[in-house]
Amino acid sequence: MIDVSWGEQVVFYILAPIAVIGALGMVMARNAVHSALWLVLTMLSLGVFYIVQAGPFIGMVQIIVYTGAIMMLFLFVLMLVGRDASDSVIETLRGQKVAAIALGVGLGVLLGTGLYRGTVDLTPVGLAEANKNGNVQGLASLIFTKYVWAFEVTSALLISAAVGAMILAHVERRKDERIGQAAMMKERFLPGNYPGPKPGPGVYATSNSVATPAKLPDGNPAQRSISPILPLRELEPAEKADKHTLTGGHQS
Amino acid sequence: MDKLKLPDMDYVALLPMLALFVAACLGVIIEALVPRRFRNIIQLVLSIVALAVAMFFVVKQSGEVVASKALTAGGAIMIDHAALFLQGALIVLGFVALLLFGERSLEFGGPFVAQAAVTVGSERDREQTGRELGSTETFPLALFSLSGMLLFVSANDLLTMFVALEVFSLPLYLLCALARRKRLLSQESALKYFLLGAYASAFFLFGVAMVYGFAKAVDFKAIHAEALLGEGNSLLLIIGLALLAIGLLFKVAAAPFHVWTPDVYQGAPTPVTAFMASCTKVAAFGGLLRVLYVGFDGLGWQFTPVLGAIAALTVLVGSILAVTQTDLKRLLAYSSVANAGYILIGVIAGQQLGLTSVLFYLVAYGFTVIAAFALISLVRDADGEATHLSRWAGLGARSPLYAGIFTFILLAFAGIPLTSGFIAKLSVFGAAIDGGQTWLVIIGVITSIILAFPYLRVVVMMWLSEPGESTPSVSIPGGLTSTALGIGTLATLVFGVVPGPLLDLAEKASSFVR
Amino acid sequence: MSLSAYVPIVWLLALAAAFGLFSVGIAPFVGPRRFNRAKLEAYECGIEPTPQPIGGGRFPVKFYLTAMLFIIFDIEIIFLYPWAVSFDMLGVFGFFEMVIFIITVAIAYAYVWRRGGLEWD
Repeated sequence: MIDVSWGEQVVFYILAPIAVIGALGMVMARNAVHSALWLVLTMLSLGVFYIVQAGPFIGMVQIIVYTGAIMMLFLFVLMLVGRDASDSVIETLRGQKVAAIALGVGLGVLLGTGLYRGTVDLTPVGLAEANKNGNVQGLASLIFTKYVWAFEVTSALLISAAVGAMILAHVERRKDERIGQAAMMKERFLPGNYPGPKPGPGVYATSNSVATPAKLPDGNPAQRSISPILPLRELEPAEKADKHTLTGGHQS
Repeated sequence: MDKLKLPDMDYVALLPMLALFVAACLGVIIEALVPRRFRNIIQLVLSIVALAVAMFFVVKQSGEVVASKALTAGGAIMIDHAALFLQGALIVLGFVALLLFGERSLEFGGPFVAQAAVTVGSERDREQTGRELGSTETFPLALFSLSGMLLFVSANDLLTMFVALEVFSLPLYLLCALARRKRLLSQESALKYFLLGAYASAFFLFGVAMVYGFAKAVDFKAIHAEALLGEGNSLLLIIGLALLAIGLLFKVAAAPFHVWTPDVYQGAPTPVTAFMASCTKVAAFGGLLRVLYVGFDGLGWQFTPVLGAIAALTVLVGSILAVTQTDLKRLLAYSSVANAGYILIGVIAGQQLGLTSVLFYLVAYGFTVIAAFALISLVRDADGEATHLSRWAGLGARSPLYAGIFTFILLAFAGIPLTSGFIAKLSVFGAAIDGGQTWLVIIGVITSIILAFPYLRVVVMMWLSEPGESTPSVSIPGGLTSTALGIGTLATLVFGVVPGPLLDLAEKASSFVR
Repeated sequence: MSLSAYVPIVWLLALAAAFGLFSVGIAPFVGPRRFNRAKLEAYECGIEPTPQPIGGGRFPVKFYLTAMLFIIFDIEIIFLYPWAVSFDMLGVFGFFEMVIFIITVAIAYAYVWRRGGLEWD
């Protein structure tokens, strides 16, 4: 039996259920953003596991690259789709979900039992030797000698990724689509356009949200004072009513 | 701190890969600096020059392989006879496929979309379909992919192999999404290929971890030694091999890991389909051979029954589903699944004979399949390629030459004598009988007969039906497509009539250095 | 490897968590509570929380491009770190390997820049 230190066991038994819950939550959450956040939980737990298992560098990389950068990419992609878009629950193939769950659980059980039987009487070796000069140094001496070719080739992967992102996500503008400053100014002062700065939203004693329109001199709301993408906040009768601020509060 | 012992780098041995890699980087720079209208020709010339340089060094080295010096790049790369043969095959097949990439005379702007990010069906999309020059990033991407394939067939440890697998897969996913016509199908194919491919890569990586757990190393020599030693629990090794095999069998499109093939072959731009069908197969089988023959030989081929079952399933699924297809590209996709099965039979046959037959089959099939897709890219109507089977009815009367060539190619797929397909199947089946796998040969022969039916149906349709209203015309191919078609057809004929030289070459190459 | 190096970090985490919980927990009991309508509203520039902004909260695809580029250089930095830590051990060979790596990734950067991938509008 492998001798595991007390601290490592405590960390494991706290974080392992959390990691599993995160993974289950990711699969089961209806809302895609919730799904992504569950995944963050799992990834963070895994990062801590790596650190506890004497791989601090890979643990930090897990947290920086996966929970940082890649999760950000996930969220952006979800936002491209619209964050409220949720999974369609209609199955296109009948019985697919049941079959997928059954096969997935089957594979899990197969791999799990296999791994258990394969590792139950193993003794770990070589950990102290690998980390002899420090974890990062040991890693560096492998990356830059034995796997130096794989390391260099990784740059091909990075270039492909950049080119791919450009091809699939960037529309190049044609020359005639670029608007110069002069053309922009002309358009601004064209009749029918409003060249001046727009009025700010209303500021009232009872409400100072940017969604509250300013009042025109005749008491009507100035539509131009709020951004068109904001839903117009309806003033309640109490807010609409004349507060008699100009007459010193006396009702005439 | 001590200075590290520097890895030995035999730069001449790495030059084929380096040439393609540098050319691909130059290609990206060209994309950034050169105006759009010159890009195609510059990229094409650059790619061909790079491939010629790479081929030169492959040929140069093939005469001077020494087993003791074959290992280079810090032990990550093994340049032995088999690696050089596969690299040479990849470079030649890649060259022929790249000719199709550069074709601009079949339709304005070439087979690739100008701006893949433009929404399908929008005003801008309709404008660019007929009027804008296609994107030429495809050349550097294909070169990156090819350099990854060269690395894949010569990698000496599983980690390098995994990086190579990613390097050659990622550009392929992108290339699939770039068709000029039927763009939604193309994007769908790219997404499917990417998702399933990433999944398969994950299996491969999981397998690497398992094998490392067993052998305490990831290079093939250590795995072999540890497996021979038989100490420890070999369960980890077997789980590892199974997971590795899933990753590799996905790439070769063996059943039940073949489901992506028809959709991707149909949706991808035809030049890319040709590239995938020829080069990816060579690379993936090259990797599979090295894993099985070099790394896991020590298991005593306990896995033969499983692989045999997969091979049998693959040929059955490929041939039976090919019968039901109505789209020519899908038909060829299922045919490629079946062919993967035949090659797998050769892999299982084992020994030098099996290895020779596999290497021969890969090259012969690669040329034929490129010719087939080159021809498909010629038969078109106003909406692009007309791939539905019914559209090909009566093509023999319209243009007997191309219908004749296609008939010849289909006969080669069916394995009729005087074509390379016959010799390839014969050598694979011969090796399998020699290796004691007669039951696979019986299944192979039966499925070959089933598979002949869809091929012959196309032939009959082309020649015996009257051309109808909807029969598309065959475009006059430009120089590039003609060259590719000519090379493919000629190779199919030559390897069928005088297979001797290539068989000799394959036999000489059929030894791995451990 | 001994994990004792992480014990202060664990303590800090526990302390921070305890402080946060304490502040939030104690506030309702010790703070004055005199609400009116304006106090409950978002302050000054705040927008009233609405269930769904118009357009469903979708982002333009250029965010994706930026995120992708960020990841590429993030990974480059991940490789730079072990190289920098053991620079004296790696010597000239390691230096040139890293220079080649940086140049090749810079090619991707040059491509993206020239093709307008970094322009925002």
